[in-house]
Amino acid sequence: MLDKKHVPHLLMVFPFLALFAVFFLYPIVSGFVYSFYDWNATTTSRFVGLANYQRVIHSRDFSKAMWNLGSYIVITVPVGIAVAFCLALLVESFKGFWQNFFRSIFFMPVVLPMFLAATIWRWIYTPNIGLLNTIRGLFGLPSVQFLNDTSTMLYSLIAVDIWVSAGFNMVIILAGMKNIPRHYYEAARLDGASKLQEILYITIPMLYPVLFFVTTYGVISALQVFDTPWLLTGSSFSQYGGRQNALLFPVMDMMGRGFGELKFGQAAAYGFILTTVIVSVTAVMFALRKKGHQP
Amino acid sequence: MTTDVGLIRSAAPNYALDLSIWTVLKWTVAICVAIVAVFPIVWMVNVVFAEPGVPVSINPRLLPTSLSAGIAKINTILSETGYLHAYYISITYSLLTIAGVLLFGSMAAFEFALFEFPGKRPMFAIVMLSLMVPTAVTLIPTYLLTANLGWLNTMQGLVVPGLASAFGLFMLIQFMRTIPREMIEAARLDGASHFQIYRHIALPMSRNALVTLAILTFMQTWGNFIWPLIVAPSPQMYTVGQVVGLFNAPFSHVTVDIVMAANLLAALPPLIFFLLFQRKIVEGIAMSGSKG
Amino acid sequence: MADLQIINVSKSYGAVEVLRDVNLSIASGEFVVFVGPSGCGKSTLLRMVSGLEEAPVGEIRLEGKVVNRVDPAKRGVAMVFQSYALYPHMTAFQNMAFSLTMAREPKALIKEKVGRAAAILRLEKLLDRRPGELSGGQKQRVAIGRAIVREPKVFLFDEPLSNLDTELRVQMRAELIQLHANLGTTMIYVTHDQVEAMTLADKMVVMNGGIIQQHGTPLGLYDDPDNKFVAGFIGSPKMNFIKAKVEAVRADAITLSDLGGRSRLELPFRNFDAGIREVELGVRTEHINIAQDTGATDILAARVAFVEELGDVTFIHTDLSTGERLVVRSSKARHRGSTECFVKLDPAGVLLFGTNGERIRSA
Ligand SMILES: Nc1ncnc2c1ncn2[C@@H]1O[C@H](COP(=O)(O)OP(=O)(O)OP(=O)(O)O)[C@@H](O)[C@H]1O
Ligand SMILES: [Mg+2]
Repeated sequence: MLDKKHVPHLLMVFPFLALFAVFFLYPIVSGFVYSFYDWNATTTSRFVGLANYQRVIHSRDFSKAMWNLGSYIVITVPVGIAVAFCLALLVESFKGFWQNFFRSIFFMPVVLPMFLAATIWRWIYTPNIGLLNTIRGLFGLPSVQFLNDTSTMLYSLIAVDIWVSAGFNMVIILAGMKNIPRHYYEAARLDGASKLQEILYITIPMLYPVLFFVTTYGVISALQVFDTPWLLTGSSFSQYGGRQNALLFPVMDMMGRGFGELKFGQAAAYGFILTTVIVSVTAVMFALRKKGHQP
Repeated sequence: MTTDVGLIRSAAPNYALDLSIWTVLKWTVAICVAIVAVFPIVWMVNVVFAEPGVPVSINPRLLPTSLSAGIAKINTILSETGYLHAYYISITYSLLTIAGVLLFGSMAAFEFALFEFPGKRPMFAIVMLSLMVPTAVTLIPTYLLTANLGWLNTMQGLVVPGLASAFGLFMLIQFMRTIPREMIEAARLDGASHFQIYRHIALPMSRNALVTLAILTFMQTWGNFIWPLIVAPSPQMYTVGQVVGLFNAPFSHVTVDIVMAANLLAALPPLIFFLLFQRKIVEGIAMSGSKG
Repeated sequence: MADLQIINVSKSYGAVEVLRDVNLSIASGEFVVFVGPSGCGKSTLLRMVSGLEEAPVGEIRLEGKVVNRVDPAKRGVAMVFQSYALYPHMTAFQNMAFSLTMAREPKALIKEKVGRAAAILRLEKLLDRRPGELSGGQKQRVAIGRAIVREPKVFLFDEPLSNLDTELRVQMRAELIQLHANLGTTMIYVTHDQVEAMTLADKMVVMNGGIIQQHGTPLGLYDDPDNKFVAGFIGSPKMNFIKAKVEAVRADAITLSDLGGRSRLELPFRNFDAGIREVELGVRTEHINIAQDTGATDILAARVAFVEELGDVTFIHTDLSTGERLVVRSSKARHRGSTECFVKLDPAGVLLFGTNGERIRSA
């Protein structure tokens, strides 16, 4: 079956596929195998069946991380998209230069590496002398330990998160808005629709696929949140998650078990548990979308 | 004619008044959001370019106050820490990654987008499925593989595992699909070999997509924190991100202005890139989003 | 200068047979036009000659040599595509020079050859432009220039003019005829526009359903088609077809009856096969005349459906009582608004076809 004429094609795809197989497929398979073994860098490995999975699921950190993740996603995704949508509407209401100008300015935080955004914000959140607390001081309010008070930590994280991602989602939503044919709006205007009605009955329904993409993408990346909370808290393998693990998230927990405690088997199991969660959530979202499409 | 003009005149003031309330509101909101968006960045710049010992936050201001102080801080960092070396590592890491992603991605995309060959469909399906797999699963096994290869703390350890970018491939395939089949056939008749068609037709025709992918890859590599952190933990291989992390560590005993100077240096390349290529970047993101 | 033979060539995509047993011989320097309805396999045949499509069954011989397995680039054929297929990132010059660049010809030679082709096509002033900055006609000329530069043995054109507007198409047609006269190279040209085919072709090849129906000179096919398909395909307006019964067969004439329901027609015909009871008459519009109702049996009554008045000629579309459509061409009389008319067929212009569509020829 292997004709000579196919050889050039196969040669051209080979480098990519080889790298892909070695650094993507093989790790997945080997990770799956690791997840059934108890081993670390020094001891020899030992088959333990599902023990790693059980240990992960029954650990207190896991429940805490999952709980945190749930609360985080439930707030950050809808609020983030609402903010992005409003920003897109705002930008869209400008013309020419100013549209470009505001689009670029609003997008600026996306350009900053995540590690930088997080560190800048850490300083802004600093108790007493940080920017936010200084401003509070001007109004005679007491200093808040934004990143060390369990009642504010999650919200502080979400604020950074939205600050970072709103521009990204805004750009995608804007592109979607540009694709809505003008004549829909013209027809609505002839029918005497108000601005708000236009948004409710034309913009949002027409943006459905884009909003779905942004939501799905947002949920998938939120499920893997790592950089920001890691940097806002201790940012080392010996210290992460913040006070009372209020900012402990699954990927962080997994990394800690792997690189902090060198329990690679558990970490691998953790990875697969997480993947299962992510894939199921994604599947549910796609299923819901299908359902939403049926008349 | 005259009645027409009259009509427009009488309608105009109402319209303008209506607009002006809306306009004022919209400008106010836009400017406030703009301030929120850029303030942390401006603040960072202000902290750096201010006399040391003046806690900037107590007296927030719009413009930097001391250029020389800022330059002095940057000098201190560059001369007294491994920052320059980290810069070198980060740039090398980014450039090699861009080169690899573009080269291997475009070669494979060329085939997937324009030709039929045995195994194409299953291969393509597997690569596309991988877009759904979270990095979380592969991170640790990939790290272990890299370690087994003896690539910890090496440049190849940083770069090579990230080269098979399914996202990059997907983006380039989408683009190359728009190259007409007849164009390829014309080149074939003109005596171009398979590789020459790739080199002289497909690559130049995909220039826009390649530039966009290069920029996105740069942004992503430069901002990649987690992979260098685990795969290159030795100080000789510190990337900018890790060095910034050190400055930020709780017990580093460095003052805020020095930390921000370090941050500013790290932010500079992507910010400059953004100012130069903002349209390409924004369009690239919009494109990858709307295709998804 | 090259002659080309296509011998027993067939082609299928999976179970779908696209070409069946194609045989064709093309002399050196001939301008051959493949014509036929959409999907009949013209492009496929052309692409098999070019080598872009494999030819697993049958033989394609160029200058006597079998080229089925020869790489397209090495066959010495050049192709001009309907979509031009110009490289958008290269200037007109670079487009035309591409094949020479690939062959690593010296710069001076490339310049000279491209310059010569540009002169033939009057492109000298446009050489620095990119395809995006050229009009449709100019793009097509660059595409032709790209083919000329290669000095091919055979030029292949796949509907090169169909993206142009009518006026430009007529002009480019004239230029192609001129080009063929200048170069004297074998050219194969695909179109589904029969007027284009008639005006360009030395030899016209009519295809339908993957089969060559007939080939020959354009007028040869017009006057003497082998079957009903060719007869109907060539000529505008289309040839009229009327069913008839064979009433009487004599040595050098036959009598047909039931034309348009009731009329009869006496036709000179030698050696008619007396076993055939039903035929179909093919008559071109110019062989039908408006007549007076003299009550003669060879007059057909028709009802006028609509009239196309083009000034110099008038086409009267009429319906016979059998429901058959008959288009009459009248260059003298203009339509006066009547709804009934009488027509008479000119026996010299009547062709006979069997019920299977094949031509029945007088021996
Ligand atoms: N790659 C292919 N796979 C399957 N069928 C094909 C393929 N290419 C062409 N065909 C079929 O072969 C037949 C002939 O195609 P071809 O392109 O030769 O037609 P054509 O005569 O050039 O028509 P047109 O005038 O529309 O260009 C068509 O029915 C087409 O559907
Ligand atoms: Mg065709």
